Amino acid sequence: MNTTDNILLRAIVYCGPSANRRHCLTLASACYFSRMRKRGETVMAAAAAEKSTKEKLLSTLDDIEVLSRELIEMLALSRTQKLPQPGEDTDILELLVQRDKEFQELMQTAVEQGKVHQEMQALEKEVEKRDSDIQQLQKQLKEAEHILATAVYQAKEKLKSIEKARKGSISSEEIIKYAHRISASNAVCAPLNWVPGDPRRPYPTDLEMRSGILGNMSNMPTNGVNGHLPGDALAAGRLPDILTPQYPWQSADVSMGILPPHHGNDFGLEPPGHNKENEDDVEAMSTDSSSSSSDSD
Amino acid sequence: MTQKPLDENMAAAEPVLEEAEDYSFLPIIHDIIKCMDKDGPDVHQELNKLKTKLQEAREQISAMPGVDTSPALQESNLRSLREQVRTKNQLLQKYKSLCMFDIPKPS
Repeated sequence: MNTTDNILLRAIVYCGPSANRRHCLTLASACYFSRMRKRGETVMAAAAAEKSTKEKLLSTLDDIEVLSRELIEMLALSRTQKLPQPGEDTDILELLVQRDKEFQELMQTAVEQGKVHQEMQALEKEVEKRDSDIQQLQKQLKEAEHILATAVYQAKEKLKSIEKARKGSISSEEIIKYAHRISASNAVCAPLNWVPGDPRRPYPTDLEMRSGILGNMSNMPTNGVNGHLPGDALAAGRLPDILTPQYPWQSADVSMGILPPHHGNDFGLEPPGHNKENEDDVEAMSTDSSSSSSDSD
Repeated sequence: MTQKPLDENMAAAEPVLEEAEDYSFLPIIHDIIKCMDKDGPDVHQELNKLKTKLQEAREQISAMPGVDTSPALQESNLRSLREQVRTKNQLLQKYKSLCMFDIPKPS
C-alpha cells in the first residue's frame, strides 16, 4: 500500500465513531479511488500510459481536493485534541505538494497540447483543401477520359468503315465508265436539243428492242455483226464487258456527252423519228402515263 | 503541533510555486492555514476561494482543446496529418505537371 493509502486509512481510523459521517465517506472514497487507481496502473500499465491528459488532470485535481480537505480538517482537529500519529500532517502536506507539482506539470503539458491542437486544426483544413483539389482534378480527368473514349470509339468505327470500303473497293475508272454509259443514253437527263415530238426516249424503244440482241436472238451470231451490236443496248449498260464492242465514246480520249444515244446511223439503223409509222408507234407508247417523258420528273 | 515543520515545508515549496502560480493551489491552502492559526473570521472566505478555484480549474480543464488524448497519441496524429498533407501535395504536383498526351517514341 502506498503512502497515500496509508495516510487515508489512518485518517479513517483516527476519525473514529465521533467523526463526521461525510468526512469518513470522503476519506473512504478517496482511499478506494486511490487503491483502484493503483490497481489500474499495476494491471494495465499500457492502458494507464494512454490515459488522456484531461483524465490525468481531473484525477490529480480530485486528489488535491481530498488532500487539502484532509489537511485542513486535521489541522482543525489538532487544535482541540492531540494527533494519534505525529507527523501525519507533514506526510499529507508532502503529498499535497507533490500532487500540486504534478498538476502544474500536467497543465503545462495541456497548454502545449493546445498549441499542437491548433496546428492540427490548420493541417486538417489544408487536408480538406487538398481533398477538394484532388476531387476537382478527378472530375476533370473523368471528363477528359469520357471525351477521349468517345473519340477513340468513333475513330475505331471510322476505321472499320474504311476497312470495309477498302475490301469492296471499285476502281474509279470503272465507275466513271459506267457513269458514261448511263449518261450516254440520256436516261438521266434529256438531250439539250430535245423538243416535244422528238421520238427519242430515255428507255429503249420498241424498234430498238427488236433490232437488239434479244430481238435477233436466233439470227445473231455470238460475236455480233462485225463485232458491233446496236449501240443503245450497250449504252444502257445491259451488256457484260466481254461483249462490249469498241465504240468511239468508250475511249478515254472521247469527251463526255458528244454522241447522242441514237447513233443507230452508225450501224445502218434509221432514226425512228423520221418515219411516220415509227413516230405513231412512239407516240402510242408515249401516251402511256408511266412512260411519258413529259410527265416524268 | 507540527506547525513549524509545516511552515518550513510550505516555504521550501514557494520558489517552485512562483514559477507556475496560476495553476497552484498551495498559496490558497497556505492562506487558509494562516487564517486558522490566527483564528480570523476569514477562514470560511478562504475556504470558499479554494472551492471556487477548484471548480474553475475543472471547468477550465473541460474547455481546454486538445487534451482529450495523451501527448503521445496527439503527436502520432500530428505526424499522420503532416504525412497526409505532404503526400497529397506531391500527388497534386505530379498530376498537374504530368502531360497526358506524351506519346512514347517507338524504340
